[in-house]
Amino acid sequence: MEDNILTFRREGLYCEAGDFYVDPRGRVDRAIITHAHSDHARAGHKNYLCSDPCKALLQVRIGQKSPIESIPFGQEQMIGKARVSFHPAGHILGSAQVKIEVGGYVWVVSGDYKPQSDKTCETFELVSCHGFISECTFGLPVYKWQPEVEIHHQINHWWEKNKADGQGSLLFAYSLGKAQRVLAGLDSSIGPIYAHSAVHSFLDHYKNAGVVLPDVKKVDKEKDFTGAMVIAPPAVEDSSWTRKFRQVKRGFASGWMAIRGPRRRKNLDRGFVLSDHADWTGLIDVITGTGAEKVKVTHGNGDALSRFLQEKGVNTSVLNESSFRGEELD
Amino acid sequence: MREFSQLFHDLDESTKTNDRIDQLVKYLMEAAPEDSIWVCWFLAGNRIKGAIKTSELRTFASERSGLPQWLLEECHDRVGDLAETISLLVATEGSGEILSLSEWIIKFIEPMIGMDTEERRENIFRVWDFLGEQDFLPFHKLLTGGFRMGVSKGNLCKALARVGGVQPAIIAQRLTGNWSPKTLSLEGILNSGDDEDRLCQPFPFCLANPLQEEAENLGRLEDWQVEWKWDGIRAQLINRGGTCMIWSRGDESVGHSFPEVMNAGKWLPGDLCMDGEILAWGQDGLRSFSRLQARLGRKEPGPTILKREPVRFQAYDLLRLDGMDMRKVSLEERRKKLEAILSSLPPDFPIGLSPLVEEESWASLRKLREESRNRGVEGFMLKKKDSSFESGRVKGCWYKWKVDPYLADMVVVSAQLGHGKRSNLYSDYSLAVWDEQGELVTVAKAYSGLSDNEIEKVDRFVRKNITGKFGPVRSVKPNLVFEIAFEGVRSSGRHKSGVALRFPRINRWRTDKKIEDADTLEIIRGFTGINEETKMADGTKVDQEGNLLLF
Repeated sequence: MEDNILTFRREGLYCEAGDFYVDPRGRVDRAIITHAHSDHARAGHKNYLCSDPCKALLQVRIGQKSPIESIPFGQEQMIGKARVSFHPAGHILGSAQVKIEVGGYVWVVSGDYKPQSDKTCETFELVSCHGFISECTFGLPVYKWQPEVEIHHQINHWWEKNKADGQGSLLFAYSLGKAQRVLAGLDSSIGPIYAHSAVHSFLDHYKNAGVVLPDVKKVDKEKDFTGAMVIAPPAVEDSSWTRKFRQVKRGFASGWMAIRGPRRRKNLDRGFVLSDHADWTGLIDVITGTGAEKVKVTHGNGDALSRFLQEKGVNTSVLNESSFRGEELD
Repeated sequence: MREFSQLFHDLDESTKTNDRIDQLVKYLMEAAPEDSIWVCWFLAGNRIKGAIKTSELRTFASERSGLPQWLLEECHDRVGDLAETISLLVATEGSGEILSLSEWIIKFIEPMIGMDTEERRENIFRVWDFLGEQDFLPFHKLLTGGFRMGVSKGNLCKALARVGGVQPAIIAQRLTGNWSPKTLSLEGILNSGDDEDRLCQPFPFCLANPLQEEAENLGRLEDWQVEWKWDGIRAQLINRGGTCMIWSRGDESVGHSFPEVMNAGKWLPGDLCMDGEILAWGQDGLRSFSRLQARLGRKEPGPTILKREPVRFQAYDLLRLDGMDMRKVSLEERRKKLEAILSSLPPDFPIGLSPLVEEESWASLRKLREESRNRGVEGFMLKKKDSSFESGRVKGCWYKWKVDPYLADMVVVSAQLGHGKRSNLYSDYSLAVWDEQGELVTVAKAYSGLSDNEIEKVDRFVRKNITGKFGPVRSVKPNLVFEIAFEGVRSSGRHKSGVALRFPRINRWRTDKKIEDADTLEIIRGFTGINEETKMADGTKVDQEGNLLLF
């Protein structure tokens, strides 16, 4: 019975009792969106529902006039026979886990989440449930995060050293979430801070939500970036935009930087292990903490995490998606 | 250890060779000489052997981290490097016992060579208690023997040369051959004097560049010495007053594998060093490389194998004569002296003179090159007559004008994650052709030849089309066709297809071809080299005591 509450269709995860999808692709009547990253929030659906703090970011992503409804975190809403509510996922500003209750049985769809502390978004909330669908982007024990203050310290130290060497610092960080998290930890007394326009478009929304960020200039007209910090999305890494910076050291802030191979392949001067996803311990703690009797893992290579949990007696399986890519945005 | 760990991480973060050399120079100037010498030894490509088995290390790491061993293997798959995997899984901030690099090696690594598994476990657990967090990866790199860090031996020599104010070539010669931090000090590497030991060491090899233009562009043919390019093992043969040594290009002393050449070398003038090639060579003349393989790595070949698979050292250069370093003398002069030494030797002698190829013009030479395969050689070597014997690959003196490789279209049937820079990309492929039953059989593995961009594309394809998992190998839906270049085929009992290819590499991605268009096993078999049967009893002639019968 409870197995039929959520099914997997071509468009994505579907709830028949409420006739809605969570983070769907394609074109559906009702989409519930966990957060505003492009691999979760896609344009083209007829109706959207998300958390209040997610709404403004979602509008930037899919268009100001999109049919988006929102509700505060924790508030329940009936959709058909399903009782739906959003709970902070701690991934980026406004990111939510979706709690879906049908006939007394509770599923939680985690979206992307992070139990570690982050000054730029709501703190992760552990939600008790019967069934839990967990992301597992970093589902191997080699991924262990240090506290974010430590990473911020590393970034500032790198910036200072580059400045002393007469170099600028070009740091790649995903434009929504990661970039703001990096910015929030920068010591603006070191030098001027610039950001690519893709990062800029989200800054005001963060400030409106009460997140304290340093002054950030647009890159446009400046010529000399010596001693400056420039934040740019990874997408522009090999573009002409990036080539205009001559005397710069290149860094990248991502959980993938925990391993030397990806770091070296990108020919970076420095990788900072800063992730917006749960690390191995975080995944285990959250999954067992929900008390769920059924666990499904998705988004990533779930085989290892699934087997590990099974051996610990947790009923876990891998939720197969039609086309997944091992490496996700982070 | 702190300084060494810092060097390790600095080198790891550098993306430019010159930065790496600068960092190494800085380290060598500041660090204690007894630590520096170890760094030089590791960077020269040496490793401590037998301190621990990787299976033991895996077991210990699994126990320490409380993770099942299969999960450790999954992590290893993802990370691509065992030392790094273990460091990531067991690293903690230890009590940080303040030991120097050499103390770590002498107290904790070397003693493990004589230990049993139980003692090794105790030892490694103690190491893990003591190591600082930053020291984990460098330490395990030393332990598992993979400390290269983007510093080639040539760049190590450059750094040492800067520290000591000595020519890189002299440093290179001192770092050649068998040495250890116990037999050579940093001072020994950097001092300017010469000594007896050096005379038993090989010189750094002069290497050829591939000819990438029309031969005519090299100017007059008369200015060039042309030789056949042999398909054997490059080596230097040294005779030092009746003591013979043979050094391979990997600076390994390999004389023990070729006793007949060692014996014969004693007959040559004392204090001499020749550059040449070790070849499989019977009374029927030159044989293929696969015959030579029967002799490689065999420490003391028995009489049967010596008889069945004889070898010959084909000399083509003279680097020292009567104790005189000849490398700055012109090739033309060196050749004259080499001919004077070797031309009067009997044909059965296991040391011979590599003949010159004399043709009227580049055009006729080009024509002769077509015969290379039938002659069992790889093409020509072109050497400038007025050139000196340089260290390493120097432009403009030596060229290899190789015969074009064989080409065949093959289907990718499985893939494996690469290493180092490609550690989480599916970049190593197994390639198959069609057999008589219409099935794809694997004939080669290849992992070079694609651009980074293409590798990423193939990686994406592989991830979406995995059909099975066999340890680290992922079988893949047959779809991609690559044109594979290779140098030869030999029959092999080890492979299901019955053939093994030499130097297979990806020539290009045939996006225009379907898997049905790939080549067949029959075509591959047709590419076999010189036809030969194993002939018995045609090795060098020896009497009952094993003395060479020459005259």
